[in-house]
Amino acid sequence: MADRVAIVGIAQTKFAPKRVDVSCGEMAYEVIEEVLRQTGLEMKKDIDNAISCSHDIWDGQTISNIGITDVIGGHLRSEEKMALDGSTAVYYGTIGILSGEFDCTLLMAHTKMSQTNRNIVNNDAFDPIYTRLLGFDYTSAAALQVRRYMYKYGITPEQIARVVVKNLGNAKLNPVAHQSGNLTVAEVLSSPLVASPLRKLDIAPDTDGAVAMILASEKRARKITKNPVWIRGIGACYDAHYLGDRDLADVFALQKAAGQAYRMAGIKNPRRQIDVAEVGDDFSYQELLWMEGLGLCERGGAAKMLEAGATEIKGRLPVNPSGGLLGGVPINVYGLNRVAEAALQVMGQAGDHQVKKDVKIAVAQGHSGFCGQHQCVVVLGKE
Amino acid sequence: MVQKEQEWISIPMTVDVPFRFAAGQYLSKFMIEMRDNSKIYAVKCPQCGRVQLPPRIVCAECHVKNDEWVELSHEGTLVAFTIMYLPLTDPTTGKPHEPPFVYGSIRLDGSTSVLDHFVNVEPDMDKIWVGMRCRLVLRPQENRIGDLSDILYFDTLPGQVRPK
Repeated sequence: MADRVAIVGIAQTKFAPKRVDVSCGEMAYEVIEEVLRQTGLEMKKDIDNAISCSHDIWDGQTISNIGITDVIGGHLRSEEKMALDGSTAVYYGTIGILSGEFDCTLLMAHTKMSQTNRNIVNNDAFDPIYTRLLGFDYTSAAALQVRRYMYKYGITPEQIARVVVKNLGNAKLNPVAHQSGNLTVAEVLSSPLVASPLRKLDIAPDTDGAVAMILASEKRARKITKNPVWIRGIGACYDAHYLGDRDLADVFALQKAAGQAYRMAGIKNPRRQIDVAEVGDDFSYQELLWMEGLGLCERGGAAKMLEAGATEIKGRLPVNPSGGLLGGVPINVYGLNRVAEAALQVMGQAGDHQVKKDVKIAVAQGHSGFCGQHQCVVVLGKE
Repeated sequence: MVQKEQEWISIPMTVDVPFRFAAGQYLSKFMIEMRDNSKIYAVKCPQCGRVQLPPRIVCAECHVKNDEWVELSHEGTLVAFTIMYLPLTDPTTGKPHEPPFVYGSIRLDGSTSVLDHFVNVEPDMDKIWVGMRCRLVLRPQENRIGDLSDILYFDTLPGQVRPK
């Protein structure tokens, strides 16, 4: 049985509003070809397991992975799909290697949001009898969550707008980001209302793209790279499906997922021990909510940390130095991109958005379902 | 006493999600050549030489990039078929195909893969058999639209006798 699992290679497409020039398979192959080239690995000789991450209803194909087996090396071999956020592909891939069954696993997440309509696709996530007829989508559900969070912890629209200002500023330094900008809080607060208090700039934009990653057992990782990033801890947890069963300002599932990952990683004090975080800011306020769920500050305290500059690239605990999802990353790819960006920080290869401090431990968080029903946390570290 | 029958509620709903699928690099070339030049192109693996339809970026067997294009004959051999008795729907038009009709798998001369399409033949087990020679029929050039419906069907070549 393998003791440790490492990330040994990462490739990401440039995220773009509409990739009309490629099919899903061709888009996936861009990152698969690149990650194999980067690691010098060969599909048939070296890769013994492949895990993809996409969604039937987003791809418009029953069993969305059956059309990409050629490119991901699933032909007459094993390939399985996580129909959850991309972070869970890391979770599942890690378990496969820790079991001793596999040595070298290719992960790939892809989605083209441009090929369909996000409101309709998201509506189909809701219970067909109970809530779907309201026309609910992720944005309207998120609007209820942010209202509850603001009410319970006294968070202001100005504080939440600062997340957008920070992340779109950081995205300017990230070559794969799809949108970026030097905005002011006033500019964010004058962007069009979509579902109050959420405005256009509070919502991660529709994007097309893919991310690939290779995980390896310690023995293999040593042969592949001098700069492996160790998966130190993983955790995953579900919350209730029906929004009415939860206080949406609570983050119990994330606290449990983080607790599991931190125990495995030996992290007792996340505020001190974690150097950088990449979290799933599908919506601006979620960065603050998830920071609290990850224990990076006390409940209700994330906005103050942000205002004090602690979460900026040069700050004490940078959060989303990549620009996060607000910079533009496709749904389903969200979490694999979070883990990829956190890993680049640990490798010291994040380029212009590399944080200024030495990164020993990074945390990545992804979530699936409206209002973060399923949560997945991955803790990464150096030697 | 007569017991009142239990009532069960069910809600009718059409789960209707609109899509616009990008054909991408390989299928765009395939459909443009077919529409503009009446040509059927496949890709040939540089390693194993398999000639693949539909054209696609990677040879699944060898996991290498396909970059050689080869033109195929419009004639081929039927390798499997079915006579359909269900009115299956064309999702691009919403209209059903009127049964009975014949689906066939045809290996075009020069191809390793087979192509599945309609066969324009009487749905009669005496008049269709595995091994029949077929010819691709394209929509008249002026009406072509650049998708797979530009292939109307396969005709069976005349003068064939069912082997005993």
